[in-house]
Amino acid sequence: MAAPVNSVGKTSADRLQANCTSFQKKTRSKLISIPGTRPSVQNGQLLVSTGVTSLDYLLGGGLAVGTVLLIEEDRFDSYSRMILKYFLAEGVVCRHELFVATAQDNPDEILQELPAPILDDVAVPKPVEQPRLTGEPQDTLDAMKIAWRYQNLPKVQSALASSSRFGHYYDVSKTMEAEIRQAAKCHRFYLPDHITPSSAAHRVESYSALLKSLQEVIHREGFDLATPMSKSRNILRVGLHSLGSALWGDDLCCHDKPRHSHALTTFLYGLRALLRSSLLVAVVTLPSHLIQDRALMGNITRLCDNAIALESFKGSERETNPLYKDYHGLLYVRQVPHLNSLARQLPDHKDLAFKLKRKQFTIERLHLPPDLSETVSRVSRGEPVGVASACGSRASGTKNLDF
Amino acid sequence: MLSELLQGIESGGFLIIRDSCSYSGRDLLKSFITAALNREEVIHILCFDVSEEELKDGLKPSDTKRLHIHNAYSDPLGWTGHPNFTVQQFSLEDLTNLVKQTSQPKPAVLVIDSLSWILRHKTPPAVCQTLQQLRKGGAVRAVIGLLHTDMHQRGTVGSICHLATSLISVAPGVKGKEAVARVTKRSKSGKVMQDEEIFCITEDFSVTILSKPSHAEHKTNSTEEEQADPTANLTFNLRLSDSELEAKQKLTLPFVFSKEKKTALLHPGPGSGRILYEPDANDDYDQEDPDDDLD
Repeated sequence: MAAPVNSVGKTSADRLQANCTSFQKKTRSKLISIPGTRPSVQNGQLLVSTGVTSLDYLLGGGLAVGTVLLIEEDRFDSYSRMILKYFLAEGVVCRHELFVATAQDNPDEILQELPAPILDDVAVPKPVEQPRLTGEPQDTLDAMKIAWRYQNLPKVQSALASSSRFGHYYDVSKTMEAEIRQAAKCHRFYLPDHITPSSAAHRVESYSALLKSLQEVIHREGFDLATPMSKSRNILRVGLHSLGSALWGDDLCCHDKPRHSHALTTFLYGLRALLRSSLLVAVVTLPSHLIQDRALMGNITRLCDNAIALESFKGSERETNPLYKDYHGLLYVRQVPHLNSLARQLPDHKDLAFKLKRKQFTIERLHLPPDLSETVSRVSRGEPVGVASACGSRASGTKNLDF
Repeated sequence: MLSELLQGIESGGFLIIRDSCSYSGRDLLKSFITAALNREEVIHILCFDVSEEELKDGLKPSDTKRLHIHNAYSDPLGWTGHPNFTVQQFSLEDLTNLVKQTSQPKPAVLVIDSLSWILRHKTPPAVCQTLQQLRKGGAVRAVIGLLHTDMHQRGTVGSICHLATSLISVAPGVKGKEAVARVTKRSKSGKVMQDEEIFCITEDFSVTILSKPSHAEHKTNSTEEEQADPTANLTFNLRLSDSELEAKQKLTLPFVFSKEKKTALLHPGPGSGRILYEPDANDDYDQEDPDDDLD
């Protein structure tokens, strides 16, 4: 097995996952070695952990430096906010710098809610139960009379995991201690401090203010790739909360045909240009359930490199559906990037569900059991959010089209 | 949960009552006003939809001195030279001045009847920003608003309700004076609670919660259907009688190993690849040289 470069120091015994490869590509690293990053095994891109290890697996090992992850928020913005907090907490633990921009709550409120890291270096989650070697009377050995060789294997491989994880685990019930948090350098952008809202705004100025502020931070702190590499480099993690909502001055979420439909897309284009030329990673959350124009949502998804959507069961009729009782919501991968290549690394499982446990945010494959009942009950898909009709006249479509 | 909300809204809270043309939420709004008056709170009402007299109708006259009604019904757009309150005054500075004018020690509760009217004349982002600043600033303790959902696009209603900490959607009930309320409450820690209740409003604007709507029967129907037995209704017999079940348990299977061998095979010790050979009855295990007969 090739010796890995930039691995967070752990022995190979920790990386046991029987079904996944433990291959580590050996590269002569011309890349700068920055703590908390590692090169991807697929294309050598520098990757950064999002803080959620299952999400890292879905995105192909981690989030590539210089890309944007778009998270379409769930209805009450609970789980998307949680992922944003994981992302920022991972930055604090890896000693990256942070940039948080919000319009609704003060960035300090988000920073104070960051979950506490579980303090092994790379904590191993609850290990697969070691089978007992001495002959204690076990029910399990008699449980399978014929197929007893398969007893110790898990019933269904549902958890997504890769051989070497490089993220950390966090305990959601506790918040990060103030000393750890203050050790990380944090840049804040709170929209009401920068813009005095005026009702007669012809352009949406909040996005250009945000872009200017970000550019200024990049130049001042030296995250630009163009500056000579005199001192050690670091990564800046950018978290933009609830972009596109009405509090940013944008009417994207308010009207079916927004007047400033290009403001957000122009901003995302400029953001990606900034990111490609500097050592930045961005996570943007967007209340997509309020956007009625699906074509615009498609544009926004194309402009970001990675895009996932969260749908929480809270408040919908799926909450009482017994199929979903173990999970808190569904996760859809809308887009994966193809960076410097023609092909994308598509995830092989399309039905994913997530659940937030105290120590882990897990994303698993959703297994639907076979339907044995006489009346086949169709799980209703829920209200479609604004299917754009062919003529484009009404943005919200009808629920059940029956011919 | 409706009764908890009636007993008080937390500081910095924003409650929206969503109604439609089939059932008006104004009675529920008046119940909230009555409950707040009974708690000795200072209330400012921005009255756009109905006239002041109609709003005061039914409320006790002794309470009206703690109730400050700003009449925006007669001239909301300032067409006469001297309007009382115009829709343009719905901004942070004007509202803060308005509330501070009464010079009460406690911060007031602001009731807006209705938000729909303001949304017709101001852009939704501006209204959202004003409401958010009102919540964050200290002048007003809580905001209660009435929103008519059928007057706006879905995105607008969604954006305003996204800001709310508590949301009550009212709809007409099955019987005459009853109505169904769906309550959603978001706490500061991010937890979301939802509830559905049937209520009815009495003459003095107090709310009686009647019962929860009966969704329980619907659920039991679906669970009964799932127990379909696949061995029923077949032309051959797939079931086992008791004696047959016993005989099946007693049957020794070929390749059945002893327990030690099973555990040894399941948990390979160091040095994998051991060959465990138990000579069977048919095997001729000769200790002598096995190649003797190869001449």
